Parts: sequence; C-alpha cells; structure tokens
Amino acid sequence: MSQTLEAPAPAPSEPTNRVRLGLAQRLLGRPEIGALVAAVIIFIFFLVAAPSFRSAESFFTVLYQSSIIGIVAVGVGLLMIGGEFDLSAGVMVYTAGLVTSMFCWYYGVNLWIGAALSLVFCLALGFLNGYLVMKTGIPSFLITLGTFFVLQGANLGVTKLVTGTVSTPDISGIDGFNSLQSVFSSSFKIGSVTVWGSVIWWIFFVALAAWTLHRTRTGNWIYAVGGNLDSARAVGVPVIRTKIGLFMTVSFLAWFVGMHQLFRFNTLQSGSGVGNEFLYIIAAVVGGTLLTGGFGNMVGVAIGAFIFGMTSLGIIYAGWDPNWFKAFLGVMLLLAVLVNLYVKRMSTARKVG
Amino acid sequence: MTDTLASHADQTLNKGEPLIEMEEVGKSYGAIRALRGINLRVGAGEVTCVLGDNGAGKSTLIKIMSGLHPHNEGNLRVDGKEVSFSSPREALAHGIATVYQDLAVVSLMEVWRNFFLGSEMTAGKYPLAGLKIKQMKEIADAELRKMGIVVKDINQPIGTLSGGQRQCVAIARAVYFGARVLILDEPTAALGVKQSGVVLKYVAAARDAGLGVVFITHNPHHAYMVGDHFVILKLGRMALDKTRKEVGLDELTQQMAGGDELAELSHELKR
Amino acid sequence: MTVRTRTFRLLAASAAVLVAAAACSGGGREKEDDTETSGGNAAGSSGYTIAFITHETPGDTFWDKVKNGAQQAAKDTGVTLKYSNDPEATKQAVLIQNAVDSKVNGIATTLVTPDALAGSVKAASAAGIPVVGFNSGIDDYKRLGALMYFGSDETLAGTTAGKRIADAGAKKPLCVIQATGSVALEARCAGVKKSAPGTENIQVNGADDAAVVSTLQAKLAQDKSIDYIVTLGAPIAVDALKAIEQASSNAKLITFDLNEEAAQDIKDKKIEFSIDQQPYVQGYMAVTSLYLNLKNGNDIGGGQAVLTGPSFVDSTNIDKIIPFTKNNTR
Repeated sequence: MSQTLEAPAPAPSEPTNRVRLGLAQRLLGRPEIGALVAAVIIFIFFLVAAPSFRSAESFFTVLYQSSIIGIVAVGVGLLMIGGEFDLSAGVMVYTAGLVTSMFCWYYGVNLWIGAALSLVFCLALGFLNGYLVMKTGIPSFLITLGTFFVLQGANLGVTKLVTGTVSTPDISGIDGFNSLQSVFSSSFKIGSVTVWGSVIWWIFFVALAAWTLHRTRTGNWIYAVGGNLDSARAVGVPVIRTKIGLFMTVSFLAWFVGMHQLFRFNTLQSGSGVGNEFLYIIAAVVGGTLLTGGFGNMVGVAIGAFIFGMTSLGIIYAGWDPNWFKAFLGVMLLLAVLVNLYVKRMSTARKVG
Repeated sequence: MTDTLASHADQTLNKGEPLIEMEEVGKSYGAIRALRGINLRVGAGEVTCVLGDNGAGKSTLIKIMSGLHPHNEGNLRVDGKEVSFSSPREALAHGIATVYQDLAVVSLMEVWRNFFLGSEMTAGKYPLAGLKIKQMKEIADAELRKMGIVVKDINQPIGTLSGGQRQCVAIARAVYFGARVLILDEPTAALGVKQSGVVLKYVAAARDAGLGVVFITHNPHHAYMVGDHFVILKLGRMALDKTRKEVGLDELTQQMAGGDELAELSHELKR
Repeated sequence: MTVRTRTFRLLAASAAVLVAAAACSGGGREKEDDTETSGGNAAGSSGYTIAFITHETPGDTFWDKVKNGAQQAAKDTGVTLKYSNDPEATKQAVLIQNAVDSKVNGIATTLVTPDALAGSVKAASAAGIPVVGFNSGIDDYKRLGALMYFGSDETLAGTTAGKRIADAGAKKPLCVIQATGSVALEARCAGVKKSAPGTENIQVNGADDAAVVSTLQAKLAQDKSIDYIVTLGAPIAVDALKAIEQASSNAKLITFDLNEEAAQDIKDKKIEFSIDQQPYVQGYMAVTSLYLNLKNGNDIGGGQAVLTGPSFVDSTNIDKIIPFTKNNTR
C-alpha cells in the first residue's frame, strides 16, 4: 500500500448545514394531503350548494357509492404503488359475478360453491396478469388491456352461450343466496339511515391495506418494487412474488365487489363494468398515488374514492345538469395530478447538505 | 465509521484468503458472447479493480457475481466451493452484496426503510408479522452516525440525501447485513470530487476491515487510490491483469484509455 | 371380501349424496330438454345474402331481441344473414360500405346517425342493393334512399307514454337516460316532456347498476316532488325499483322495453306499464321485407314507415307476454 487513506474524522454530533423543515412543508410531503384538502373543500361546497346533501341519509348514500369504487381502488392503489396498472379490474368485477351466477344456475348447485369457484377463477386471472407482466417484461398497461378485452368479450359470449341472452337469470331462488347476501350485500338501519355492509367492508379493507403497507415487510417491498425495481431486486426483495401478489389482490377485491353486485341485483348485465377500471385508477391518483409507482398511501386512495362518490352524487343533490359531471370529474383529476406533481417536487427537491 | 465495519465484518476473514475465484468464466446471450476467458480472484482484505470502457463486459461480470444472470462457461468458486447463482438472494446468502451506481436505493422511501430493505426486522409470525419500526429507526440512525452521515430526520426520503451519502448508506447496509464481498458498480461515476473522496475512504475502510471488494470503474485514478489488483476488460476479454506492484498509474491510464489508439487520436487532433 | 363390500357401500352412499345435492338445489335452470323454438323449417336456401347492421353496444338485451328476430326470419326465409354492429357512427358507415363491397343482395341497417351513414347508404343504392332501415331514422330513411322502414317513432312513443301518465296525474316525472348522446333516448324523453311538461331528465351510467341506484336515490332525495320515473330500458327499470325502495319514495315507475325481470315486476304491479317497441318484430320484418322485395318486388308499408310500436304492456296483458320474455323474443 503506497498510499493509505486517513481515518475519517469522527462524525459530527450535530448537523451543521441542515434546515429545519416547517410543519407545512412536512405536511405537503404526505401523499393524501392534496386529496384531503380537496375533499374538505368539495364537501363544504356541496353542503352550501345542495340543501338535500345535508342529511345523514345522503351522506351514507355517498359512502355507499364510494365503497363500490373504493374497495377495488384499494387493490388498484396498492398495485400502482407497486408500479403496475390493471385495466382489467372493472370488467373482472362482472366476470366474477357472471361465473358464480351462471355456474350455479346451469348446474343447479349451491351458490357457495359458485362463489368459491369464481374466487379461484379470479385469483387465477390475477396470477396470469402478474405472471405475464413479470415474465415478458411487457408493460402491465398492455397486458391487462389484453385481459380487459378478452374478459369483455368472454363475458358477453359465454353468457349468451349459457343463458341464450346477454344477461344472467335471476338467482335469488338458488340455495345459499340468503347467506351470501348477508355476507356481501347486507344493509342495516340506524334510525332512518341505511348503512350498507359494503361501507364497513371498505373501511376494513382500507385499514388492512394501510397496516400491511406501513407496518409489514410486504408493505416495504411494495413501495420498493414500485419505487426502484432493480434496486429492490438487488437487495433481495422477491420482486416477482410481490408483484404477482399485488395483481392477485386486485382480482380478489374485484371478486368481492362482483359478489356484492350479484347478490344485490340478482341478475347481471354481461356488458357491464367497462370504464370502471379508470374510476379505480382515478381514485388512486386523486388520492396522491404516483402513476409512476413507489409513492402513495391507503388513506389517500380512500379519500380519492370518497371524492368520486361525493362529486358524482353531489351534482345530483344540487340539482344541476348531470351532463357536466364528467367535465367536473376531469377538472378534479387534472387538479389532483398537478398537486401531486408539486408535492413530489417539494419532497425530493429539499435537498440539503 | 470503522466501528461499523469492525463490529459487523465477518471475524473469520483472513487477509489474502480467496473469497471468489473465477476460472475461464464466460457468458453468452444467444449468439452473442458477452464475456469469455475471465480469470479473477477476490481476496479478503483486498480491493480488486475492474476497469473497462462502456460495453467491455463490466456489467455482465457484475451480473454473474451478483446472481442476476448465471454464467455458462467456466467455473465460479465461492469459498472454494463451485457455485452458479440463479438469483440475487442466493448470492446474498453467500455474503456477496452488490451496490449499483444509480440503483443503490429507492429514492422515495425513507432512509431507515432503505437501510433495512429486504432484511426487515419483524415481530410475530407471517402474515401477521409487524415491523419493529422503532428499533429499525434507532439502528439505522446509529449506524449512519458512525459513518459520519447525519440525517436530520431518519424518516426523510433517501432521495433528499446527496449522491455520495446515498452510496455510503447502500454500502453500510451491505456491510451491516454481513456482506463478505462488496461489489461496487461505478460508485464514484456520478459524483463530484469531494463526494468521491467520501466513498473512496469508505472503500478503503471496508478493505481494512477484511472484506473483499470488487471496485468497478472507468476512472483509473480512483482505482489506483484504493486498488490492490487491477483487471482491464476489453471486448469481453481480459486485456490486463496485474497487481499493484506490477503496474503504475501511468500504465493503467494508458491501457485503460486504449494505449496506442489514444496516441493515434492525439496525433490526429494535434493542432 | 368385506373390504370390497364396504368400499362399494361407501361409493354408493357418496353417489346418493351427490345426486341428492344436485337435485335439492332449486332455482336454477329448468332441466327439460331444449325444444327448438323455430317456427319455420328452412326448406333449402333461397340463396340470398343479407347484411344486417346495427349500432348495438355489445351486451344490450334490447339488441339481443332484434338479433333473435332477424335470425329467425333468416331461418324462415332461407337467407344467409351477416350480422355486424358498431356503436360508433363512422365505423357503422364502414360496415355498410363493407357490405356493399362484398356484393350482398340486401342491406338492413339502423339509421341512428343519418348524416354519417348517408354516403354508404347511397353507395348501396347506386350499386343496386336494396336498403331497408329499421329501429331508428324514421324521419330520414327516404332521403337516404332506403326503401322501407320498420321501427317505432321515438317521439310518438314518448308522447303516448307521457299522455298516459299525465292523465293519471303525473306532475313531476323523471326521465332516466342511460347512455350519453343518444338521439333516440333523448327523443323519447322529449316526447314524454311534450305530454307532461313537468318532466326532468337525468343522466345515469347504465354500465354500472350500483351507480344507477345511487344516482336515482340521490335524485329522489333531492327532489321529493318526483311522482313518476320513466326509464328507457328494462334493466334500468329494475335498478330504479331498488332506488325507489331505498329512498322510501312514492314515485311510480314506467319503462320502455321489456325483459324477463321487468315483465315479472309488471305482473307484480311494481312497474305500472311498459312501452314496447317490439324489437323482435323490427329484426324479423327488416329481413323478411328484403326477402320479399328480392323475391317478389314487394314494398311493405306502401311508401310509409311501418310502426312496430308503441305497444303497451301492463297488468292486463302481461300474462300472455311473460312466456315470450322467457324466450327472449319480447
């Protein structure tokens, strides 16, 4: 060794050139803050503008509407944090219901069997999505777009083959209907307010996902595979398993909502669900999830779904022309994306030292 | 920072003992032969520098050692036993940790999460195992302080640290989790002079603690400051293989820059 | 020996359980053998090929019936039917052009967006291919050069329905539009408004039942004076019933079109009545009229549009109609 390096100086006990971050700036670093602010503003806005919005009944109708989007959005949000998309989620909701309904109707078996069968089927679809994305390296946007079209066509084609029409027969007379209905689509009254079970399930799924994301190893891996795939792989994160698991989570939640739809409406239109996949993505993005992955949280996604439910029904409560709803939604989305961009700049640009 | 190394480095490492040995190792991707005839030895307490221009086969060599792509020619021995890694996890299990230039960390994640990524401390049984968040934050903070990296808030995204600090966190993480061989992929390439110095000091410290270091770079000056053994790759083959005693900085620079080609170039460009 | 007997008993027992399980689950498909519902036997092909083009959005029960009618007519007349559809006007025009290019004997098409389709329809006439309009385009079919038209007059259907509920005392009907930008649906609601001036329109997302229910529920909560809901499709009517129930509203419900469930609701008097434009007839007549025109030079309707509706379905005639809804022909 011709040249030895000096031992490094002892670490300074106090940072020298660091600035203390203000409370406002630290708040801005949280993914859900933009959505929360927006939600509060929209809520107050409708309270003022729409008299019939100001009742507990209305509030719970809004919550119900939010939960139907919000449950699948939990999965889609997790998946997006993990850096992938799933465009097949909207149609898969109906695939789940159709499989259960037609299998049980055709073979005359208990609906519990059909529900279990379609759960297995949906998980297999989720696995397939994930497997193809990971094995081929083709962007999930394309793979799941393919699955989306296949499911959309198969929903129609198979339904027509089995039932002779494009909607499923009424299954309310088949064994197991009542017990399944009480699991997936029950409601109860508090005073004059109807509370749907799906709202409770939604809260449960959000809490479970939030806990997983922040308090478990799996959650760490989800952020890592979305934030920097190669680096995650290099430190030994099981990348493929994590991502496939995320796709399967989405398909599980799609199945869950599919069961809710089936047992609430008894019959399903086989062409339904198209377009809902974007609502899930919108909920996640409005809630502060980054489209590029690695950033976001579950409270944000829940708020995103709530904003969607509130906006879609608030316009009705206010008695406005609902033709404008999509325009309003578009503005909301743009604003959310801009806020997110700003937040990301804030959280990465405060480089000091 | 030597504390970290001294306390976590494998105590059984003896200086000079071979950790990785490659014998006529090669790798082809389909019809393309990316690498062939590589003979390389990484000893404990030594820094082996691998130099080469872009496309010389450096990254293929890293991929073989780190378990991303298995080799398909020759033998790779770790601790005297022949191996062929099929995943980075497997390489890690053998104590071989790789720190990539840009990919070292997940920049939107907090410092402490990055530090423990892939080796999280959990309590309870899967799938209900919660993370020991408080403990992990304390350890990460303490370990980083020992290295001279003081973060105001261990919860800040690691992207807010400087490039040199990020490299150091990644290296410190590898050492903390018991790495015996460190593969550093161009750790100084994107850094300024001062920050490169921080990283080089850390490389030297790792060497002194008895770890084997593979230092991949295209900067002969940086290599010569810490290296014990120099290998230059050209078009997938070894163009030079010498110890520190056998080669000087000038020759290294000359060889690295393409030797005769450079002379020709300077002649052409002469004004 | 005993082992074998036991195995056999076990097998027999489990088989019995299986049979019982399969037998005791009610409510499923009726297990009789499917009897062919075909009325006519196609005694040899007539050799004609007819292109049948609609603006169907896949998965709509209404179009399913139109298609069933067309297929039955093709079977009855021995015609080869080429079905194609696209909800987008420009693509539908391409489909018509395709039919012209492949030299079919006749073309039956919906004329929902007359101006976009005019070019292709005229190309067909120029090539000497007879064109029949159906379902929509009653005001424009002659101008485009189509020979005949089978469909309902949407505005007339709307005004008739509007008159019936206005006579029953409707002050504030709510007309539910389930697809954006559809001329036919807007025309129905406009017709209702003509007879019942208090009518208000609302837009819902027909592709999501839960969203339809929530939206209508919200609307009923917002405006308690709504006393009638007019839905423009049978599946939406079934959703609207749920919304009325949820919102504890007293609004009455009428609907356009039919399906099996809605028919049952009419029988149970949950839906007051349905305005049926008889989609099966539209499909059937469009194909049959082309066949007659090609075979025999007939002109059905004598130069006037042939109306397939509005036909009212209510509790007085529902019993006769329910079996047909099960066959998916009404």
